[in-house]
Amino acid sequence: MLCCTILALCRLSLARLFAAGLIAGAAALPALAKEAIVLNSDDDSLSTIDTQSHLETSRSYIGRQPHHLIATPDGKSLIAAMAGGNELVFIDRNTGAVEKRQEASDPYQIAFSPDGKWFVANSLRLDRIDIYDAKTYQLAHRLSALTMPSHIGFAPDSGTLYVTLQGTDRVTAIDLAAGVPRWTVPVGRQPAGVLVRPSGAILVAVMGADYIVKLAPTDGEIVGLVHTGRGAHNFLLSPDGKTLYVSNRVAGTISVLDADTLRVTATLGAPGGPDDMALSADGKELWATGRWRASVDVIDLATGALKTTIPVGRSPHGIAVN
Amino acid sequence: MIDGVLRLIGEAQGALFERMVEPALYQLGLMDWADDVFEGVGFALFGGLEIAFAYLLLRPLEWWRPVEKRPGRRPGHREARRAVRTDVVYTLVHRIGVVPAILFLVLAPIGVMVDGSLRFHGYIPRALEQLLPALRDWPFVTLLAYIVLLDLGEYWRHRLQHRLGWWWALHSLHHDQRQMTLWSDDRNHLLDDVLAAAWSGTLALLIGVAPEEYPLVLVLFRLIESLAHTNVRLGFGRLGTPLVVGPQYHRLHHAIEHARPPFEGARGCNFAVILPLWDVLFGTWRREPNFPPTGVASLAGSAISCGYLRHQFEGLRRLGAELAHLAYRGRPGFVAAFRRAAPQLSSTDGVKM
Repeated sequence: MLCCTILALCRLSLARLFAAGLIAGAAALPALAKEAIVLNSDDDSLSTIDTQSHLETSRSYIGRQPHHLIATPDGKSLIAAMAGGNELVFIDRNTGAVEKRQEASDPYQIAFSPDGKWFVANSLRLDRIDIYDAKTYQLAHRLSALTMPSHIGFAPDSGTLYVTLQGTDRVTAIDLAAGVPRWTVPVGRQPAGVLVRPSGAILVAVMGADYIVKLAPTDGEIVGLVHTGRGAHNFLLSPDGKTLYVSNRVAGTISVLDADTLRVTATLGAPGGPDDMALSADGKELWATGRWRASVDVIDLATGALKTTIPVGRSPHGIAVN
Repeated sequence: MIDGVLRLIGEAQGALFERMVEPALYQLGLMDWADDVFEGVGFALFGGLEIAFAYLLLRPLEWWRPVEKRPGRRPGHREARRAVRTDVVYTLVHRIGVVPAILFLVLAPIGVMVDGSLRFHGYIPRALEQLLPALRDWPFVTLLAYIVLLDLGEYWRHRLQHRLGWWWALHSLHHDQRQMTLWSDDRNHLLDDVLAAAWSGTLALLIGVAPEEYPLVLVLFRLIESLAHTNVRLGFGRLGTPLVVGPQYHRLHHAIEHARPPFEGARGCNFAVILPLWDVLFGTWRREPNFPPTGVASLAGSAISCGYLRHQFEGLRRLGAELAHLAYRGRPGFVAAFRRAAPQLSSTDGVKM
């Protein structure tokens, strides 16, 4: 009947009624200087967490179905992709103020090319890859993807875009300037995260399996395979480029790898469906959103132990730590 | 307390999904469905909550002041008991998620195709808060605005269900219940559900989807819909009746004589789902204090008191008869073809005889 629309099936969220914030309105975000920011995709909210006390300090309505979060190339702003709201929300990284809302069709995963020239938004639900001019946010190319274009990676020279097609077993490489595919190769069931190394080699996490693969950039040939954990999902590279973290969503773990040799050096416990990850400013903690438990896990990298679990809104996804 | 309830449901959803459902998805190679299935688990849990609320709050009303006595154990009440049991099955399959899951699998690909095609050509559906940016600061008010608009959409869908012969053939499954109870709200044919979902989905393309940050509010509205069907001698009085649909108000809609003059043109009355405002505005408000018997005069016996699957098949039979009548006017429509009841009622089920 009234409340049982087909689309409602896709969006059932729990309402954490922070009374003033959610009922009365979306209050301005607090200053974000020492905060972590988490997008709660099923709550339509954004949580801020004090990185010292590990306590949630605010939760505010931000827009419909916020999923992923990236920094602008100049580092001054964060962009939150509102898949259901059809917009990009630009947030001042210091003050927390919403700077502007830019219309975009169903942005799910977003990224800037390394040269800052292109902005790419994948529409997971509508099977589409949109390539925008990063300066003007004018649409340059709109490509139909086979199904569920998910994560994004770029060649170091910004000439090629790599996208995992999560509804299949494939990864596709697209010429960014021309907007045409170069190659599409099978890598395993439900490929998710993509990370491109300085050498140009492409790493892909295969969520329907327990491994990551290494692809050659010229033709996508699989040149390496490393077992990490069931549901290998996403990557995080340490700032010094030496350590690679892989979240394993089904196993509830995070694998630690040597970024050059891809040897697994440790496995960290991260229950609740670890998804996106971020490092604390001092590099001592690894933060991971737990999609199924409405929480963020904080892991002490010195000991490998789970330090704390921070309750946030439902289905937390994108995370950034200031 | 609300916060606690929501947290509990969230934890149950997460635990159930992580420990039982996700490993199964992984083994079956269906990890691309993980997010949707996680939502579905939540949907099922909330459905269970709705059923529990409905039973705990509404069943006592049916004991307290029933319009009709609940069918007892005597042999003469067997059909009525079976009809009520069938409604319980309808409620379970709808609210725990079986029917919504079927609808999702059937309609979501179509919706994606249509939506994707529109967007590919530059059309981005506007949500209400994009049309009225001030709403963005008031998400609860936005939700209420959506409920009003969607209720208006449901009112007109309901009018069409009564006005179009083929749709009435399907919708008559909902109306043929002569022992209406709190379980009767979900007594619908699956095809009717598909049409309803397509209707709502089309509305969503035009105005966006209602924000669902307040699932307990939505549970409340489902409760109102269940209350409207409850077997209780309860009206909301002169002041309350025009504000929200209640049992007495909706019982008039389900009355065997719901299409008698002056409502024969609309083939029914009191179509509103939540807000009687629409009946007031569009002239379909029947203002009477009585609690009439419910049902469809031409439908009785095992056709209305059968089990769930047979009832669904019965709906197809009625639809088939009506479509045959549309194709070959010489053949009787489903009302004439299925008439079995005593002819003492002059105006039967809203369809021209």
